[in-house]
Amino acid sequence: MSGIEETRLRRAFLEESEELSQKLGESLMALEADRANALLVNEVFRLTHSLKSESALMGFGTLSELAHRMEDVLGCARDGSLSLGKPVMDSLFAGADLIAEMMAAIAKGGSDADFKTGDVLQGLSEARGNGHDRPPAPSHAAPAQGGQPNEALPGITATVEAAPITLGAFEKLQLAEARDRGEDLLRLTVSVDEGEPMKFPRAYLVFSNLEAVSNVVKVVPPMEGETAEDSVYGRTTILLTSGSEEEVRRAASRVDQIAEVKVERCRFEAFLSAAAVDAFIVPVPGLWTAGAFAGGGPETATTSAGQDEQARRSESPEARRTGPVEKTSIRVDTRKLDDLWSLIAELVLHKSHIARLSEDIGRGKDVHTVREELVESFDSLDKISSGMQQTMMDTRMIPISVIFSKFPRLVRDLSRKLGKPVDLLLSGEDTEIDRSIVEALSDPLTHIIRNSLDHGIEFPEERVRRGKNEKGRVSVTARRQGGTIVIELEDDGRGIDAESIRRKAVGMGVSGAESFTEAQLLDLVFLPGFSTKEVVTDVSGRGVGMDVVATRIRGDLKGDVVLRTEPNRGTRVTLLLPLTLTIVNALLVRGDVQLYALPLTDVDSTAKLVSAEIRGEEGHESALWMEEEIPVYSLGALFGSGRRRTDEYFAAVLRHGDRKAYLVVDELIEEREVVIKPVDDLLNSQKMFSGVSVLENGKLVFILDTSFIRREHF
Amino acid sequence: MGATILIADDLSFMRMIQKEILTERGYTIAGEAADGLEVVEKFKSLRPDLVLLDITMPNMNGLEAMRKIFTIDPHARVIMCSALGQQNLIVEAIKAGVKDFIVKPFKPERILSAIEKALRV
Repeated sequence: MSGIEETRLRRAFLEESEELSQKLGESLMALEADRANALLVNEVFRLTHSLKSESALMGFGTLSELAHRMEDVLGCARDGSLSLGKPVMDSLFAGADLIAEMMAAIAKGGSDADFKTGDVLQGLSEARGNGHDRPPAPSHAAPAQGGQPNEALPGITATVEAAPITLGAFEKLQLAEARDRGEDLLRLTVSVDEGEPMKFPRAYLVFSNLEAVSNVVKVVPPMEGETAEDSVYGRTTILLTSGSEEEVRRAASRVDQIAEVKVERCRFEAFLSAAAVDAFIVPVPGLWTAGAFAGGGPETATTSAGQDEQARRSESPEARRTGPVEKTSIRVDTRKLDDLWSLIAELVLHKSHIARLSEDIGRGKDVHTVREELVESFDSLDKISSGMQQTMMDTRMIPISVIFSKFPRLVRDLSRKLGKPVDLLLSGEDTEIDRSIVEALSDPLTHIIRNSLDHGIEFPEERVRRGKNEKGRVSVTARRQGGTIVIELEDDGRGIDAESIRRKAVGMGVSGAESFTEAQLLDLVFLPGFSTKEVVTDVSGRGVGMDVVATRIRGDLKGDVVLRTEPNRGTRVTLLLPLTLTIVNALLVRGDVQLYALPLTDVDSTAKLVSAEIRGEEGHESALWMEEEIPVYSLGALFGSGRRRTDEYFAAVLRHGDRKAYLVVDELIEEREVVIKPVDDLLNSQKMFSGVSVLENGKLVFILDTSFIRREHF
Repeated sequence: MGATILIADDLSFMRMIQKEILTERGYTIAGEAADGLEVVEKFKSLRPDLVLLDITMPNMNGLEAMRKIFTIDPHARVIMCSALGQQNLIVEAIKAGVKDFIVKPFKPERILSAIEKALRV
């Protein structure tokens, strides 16, 4: 197999298995809360089984063995011979953790073989009861479910001629009936032309033709339901029974763009034999080409050459240890892709239309008519391009549950470790957010929750003394508010004493700290150097690395973080995040000759300011907005020669978190979308811009990072 | 005289190319249609041996038009022309009984070999 194919396989494996591993953790949590739930036991069993099979296929023997032992334990729980007591659950949790660690190591290019599984395996086998212990599984891979030795698993070598097929009970029944009718059992291997751009429909057409003349028993990869990606259908294996081989051949060959259809007669017994009876199939989307099926071969069993290859591969360290595989593929709701495709189809249509119009002009067609058609076509193109943009943006959105789902486990473990019973409430998990933001959010959220448990929530005795419920409460909610995602993390712990922050700040020489409002004091927690553990733990018991959280949220994600607290009642950290990072709706303004864009999420309104309303001296001006005195900045003063003096000014009212400010501009131009591109550090030494954008006319627009209105206070 | 073929595509340019390819090979162009309604009408009156049908057309898309054609003649031979990415539509068309499909942009020999195979049935 080529290196590229191997990388692709690893990638597919990682993607699939990481999800399985994550689900395993979640299902175990659910199972712990509801141990008598047979469905959950089955679910966890299925997950360990899938992990076992997938890792065995990839030659990750240590991982596979671990999953196999967990599956054993769950098998006993499933058939009622083992009850899920604490030691059993703990050993399963330990196993799930180790699997997650192995997956992480494999993703980074490491190997599962670097992990010591002895203790966990010991724990699992003790949990299961010594009486049932079985000899250890082969070290490189676990046996398949049906008692098949693992050597029978076709390896990741893609030299297998056709994917071996294993059948379920229903399919076997079909075979038995066909045999009784005296039909032939045929296995077809259909190869689509390399050049065919759409392989799935091509293979589907063959399948559909075959269905008309025969009894199709099984297709690999599957044609209905959960289908694999298009390229995988370059080769399809179809098992069918028929009274006329000739008719089958004809039906298959009627389709164009088919490179080859290989027809093999098979013995019914090969598929109905005892060995194949209980074989358990785990479909592994993305791994089909590698022949992800076990057991039930054709007349000729899996070749010995294939076995040698498999054995060699399993032992060779290269099989397990290649370079890090970056996770570059994403899962997208296919409906979103369908939308995109139909838009592209329309686009192609209009392209030809416009080409025809230019020909029309050449042929001397009336220019007015052509122009009208052109305008019409342009309108459509406009609609199509905004549709495509919207759909493309939609494909970037994923539910925040991707991160939230990790929290129950985190809280469970921390709460045990610290001896603080805590209830975790999650809500708004289906809120969708840009995937690039999601990835960057995981760490800060984990950090804040950790802080809540570590420093916010009191020990049970202390809580009782303070008249609180013995059990602490942490809630995490997400919701969308216009163009902003709001995530709130709240605990009912001891809170933070703002006054002691003030004392600390004054002691550290923070200018103006004496007169800071509570909000300003709390914001100090996010400053680097201030929120070191010693300092803040002394004050109130919170703040390990809150500056890191702030840097990530305010800096990298262009969002904001606000802390609110009430002593003895608890603390709430609110994160405000933009929906997406790449395209923003913005207010285009001009200062001197330069254009600037103000993200609409940061613009409250626009206003006309009369110079008499502006108070204070230059550089420290303010004016009333509603009933609030807010600072007045001006683009001219920030970036140019100063504000020119007139009686009346145009201004945008900016907001960042709970702060507001006027920004005086020379011209309010329009609201529009701008595409954000990274800005050069040289141009951005003051960190005033979150990016630049280039307009159609080639003009450069600076996108203002309005968080400066917060920074200016310090 | 070669088999008769009805061409349906809303782009006259596309019809022109197809016409050229087919007549050069000796097929007879039974007629042309620029939208779904028209192709159904023309199929009724012309009864061609085969229909080359674009999947996206105004007034009645190719898929619907094909279904209508099958109600007129269940054995009609229809080849669908589609753009890349209309995979789901094609699968729909296959379920509805299309004989073959061609993905745009195509080479002349693609149309010809698909037509030859479909006509052999």
